[in-house]
Amino acid sequence: MHLKKLRKLLLLPVSLLIAALFLTAPKAQAASKKTYIIGTDQTFKPFEIQDKDGTYNGKNPGIDIEILREIAKHENFKYELKIMSFNADVQALQSGQIDGMIAGMSVTEERKKTIDFSNSYYTDGVCLAVAKDSKITSMKDLKGKTVNVKTGTTSAIYAKSIQKKYGFKLKYYTNSNTSWADVKAGNADACFDDGPSLRYGIANGTGLRIVGKQVSNAPLAFAVKKGENQELLKMFNDGLAWLKKTGRLKKIVNKYTSKKAVKSQVVADTSILGLIKDNAGALLQGLWMTIELSIVGILAALVFGLILGIMGIAEHKFWHGLANVIIYIFRGIPMMVLAFFIYIGMPTLLGHKLPLFTAGILTLMLDEGAYIGAIVRGGFESVDVGQWEAARSLGLPYYKALWKVVAPQGFKLMIPSLVNQFIITLKDTSILSAIGVMDLTQTGANLIAQNFQGFKMWLIIAVIYLIIITLLTWLSNYIQKKMQH
Amino acid sequence: MEEKYKVQVTDLHKSYDGVHEVIKGASLDVAPSEVVCIIGPSGSGKSTFLRCINKLEDFQDGHIYLDGVDLADPKVDINKMREKIGMVFQHFNLFPNMTVLENITLAPVELGKEDKETAIKEAHKYLQMVNMDDKADVKPTTLSGGQQQRVAIARALAMKPDVMLFDEPTSALDPEMVGDVLNVMKKLAQEGMTMIVVTHEMGFAKQVADKVAFFYGGVIKELGTPEEIFDHPQEEETKNFLNKVLNI
Ligand SMILES: Nc1ncnc2c1ncn2[C@@H]1O[C@H](COP(=O)(O)OP(=O)(O)O)[C@@H](O)[C@H]1O
Ligand SMILES: NC(=O)CC[C@H](N)C(=O)O
Repeated sequence: MHLKKLRKLLLLPVSLLIAALFLTAPKAQAASKKTYIIGTDQTFKPFEIQDKDGTYNGKNPGIDIEILREIAKHENFKYELKIMSFNADVQALQSGQIDGMIAGMSVTEERKKTIDFSNSYYTDGVCLAVAKDSKITSMKDLKGKTVNVKTGTTSAIYAKSIQKKYGFKLKYYTNSNTSWADVKAGNADACFDDGPSLRYGIANGTGLRIVGKQVSNAPLAFAVKKGENQELLKMFNDGLAWLKKTGRLKKIVNKYTSKKAVKSQVVADTSILGLIKDNAGALLQGLWMTIELSIVGILAALVFGLILGIMGIAEHKFWHGLANVIIYIFRGIPMMVLAFFIYIGMPTLLGHKLPLFTAGILTLMLDEGAYIGAIVRGGFESVDVGQWEAARSLGLPYYKALWKVVAPQGFKLMIPSLVNQFIITLKDTSILSAIGVMDLTQTGANLIAQNFQGFKMWLIIAVIYLIIITLLTWLSNYIQKKMQH
Repeated sequence: MEEKYKVQVTDLHKSYDGVHEVIKGASLDVAPSEVVCIIGPSGSGKSTFLRCINKLEDFQDGHIYLDGVDLADPKVDINKMREKIGMVFQHFNLFPNMTVLENITLAPVELGKEDKETAIKEAHKYLQMVNMDDKADVKPTTLSGGQQQRVAIARALAMKPDVMLFDEPTSALDPEMVGDVLNVMKKLAQEGMTMIVVTHEMGFAKQVADKVAFFYGGVIKELGTPEEIFDHPQEEETKNFLNKVLNI
């Protein structure tokens, strides 16, 4: 009898979840043109050059973006850029989260197994770079040194292949700028990256120097998942042929690689106030996303946690076990892994894309919900057993006793922990930047990839987080005080 | 099962851990309107025995009949049975999140016994009986122990039970509060309530009980009228126990 009731209770979130998954399924494509989601790198000069505000909307967004722009216009298709780390892009492509990808991506035999490439628009290869004043003059000097590479790139693959021979240590980064900055700062001794990119950076003052020759040259191309989005691939190839024929491709490439190449936008005012002023729009947008994620996330987590908590003290022991297992699983999985699993892994299972925001909320719901489940169960359990006994002795059935007598007292005990969990949730949303959610953290990372003001920008971001959390703490203290009276 | 008994416990066995029996075959018959006091050394199983009677504790063997219905029968709806068995605890266990009045009306209203209005009227009646009507709208935490216990009695009575179980109802009270609670219990007894009372108040047992059961080592070692137990105990253990408690 109680089992049935609980099952009904459980059905609610499960059906909500399923509904969420399907509602977010791509709406039947109306007659209107499809908008392709194209993944690209966070920053990969001169192929991707971010504007001051971290986007690619400006006049000099880099070779890849200009090519894509021209082709889309010529072939008459719409696209939306998805800015993530190179590695996240590749995974998103393979799982079908994005339709295509352009990110200075090299054509390799290995990648061809899962990816269809367009014709090539450029050729590049891997180079070794060190700080300007470094003593390293050849690969032989790398013994025992630390060498930076970008996860999932041909540089990383190349470095790995010669690592034993030269005896260096590898350190992985998700974007080139941080990898380079690390070498310049002396935290690492050298880095491998694409030659054109390193050279462009050097011309723009990264303070590095290239050692030796460019190796393992390979064509760069636009990519789609193997066997999918073939019409997009064809349009790209057609457009590229047109760009080549009309000389436009050469013009674009020259714009960024010739002697008179455009410099990346210089940040005018690098004082903290100047940075805030210049980036206020982007920061506010990021902040808003963080707040939205936190609120929707904690609400979803509360529902999930409440159900877990009730299962955890249900009359039938079976539910205790189930709740324990669920809590154990989601507390045990690092949130970032869970986020990747949901965002990158689930689409394979579902057969359609999962919007980023939904994936983020699901992650928060499951991860934070598991913690809330433990809090709720703990709160119920810390109510004096005499309360149960008194309620049951009056003839109240288990769930009435729980709902009318135990739960109200339990909730009161839980409030401080729940508030604390809300603050943790707000902080945890920053982890979702890993899957490309444009929250405050990701906005910061994108801005820094462009303006190199790591110290000041992270300081600004940290202070913004502190301010919201302080406000939240005040608010919760106020509410708690109110509740006591 | 004989119809003349309100409560009949036969050969009850109970262990908490499945190994050590705490109740080792106890039997007790309680006639309607009878007051049975259970006395005995602490740890002898008195509370456990009492808590089995409304199945707050499960038991492994034996039968407990209430008006002929066997609580050991898994088909019996225990919630329905509990409605007929009032219980008063050592630590009162009032619901701190509700007022005195809400404590009392909760069960009758939630279980559909009475509509809210009637329940409130009835509650005031019981509160008057325990002399607590002036405190109907306060939270229990503001009351003294003795006052809380009287409210707890009113709460149990509001379900109009056939039997009342008392588990050391005065043990947690300051001495000056004990009298008020015992007076309420006496009044109940006089009104004909069937009562089973685990108590250390020998005076109360002597004065009010129809039968006194001496619990020892998980069984009822000796059972009789107050005169029989207090004035002419037969068993060695009963004598020792009474010597100890009456001489302090
Ligand atoms: N919840 C419990 N779990 C395990 N053992 C218990 C529990 N409650 C009581 N006991 C044990 O059962 C025995 C009888 O206890 P109890 O019925 O409280 O005795 P009394 O009321 O006569 O003092 C004691 O040995 C006690 O330790
Ligand atoms: N965006 C990039 O870092 C690309 C690096 C390299 N060309 C690759 O394909 O792996």
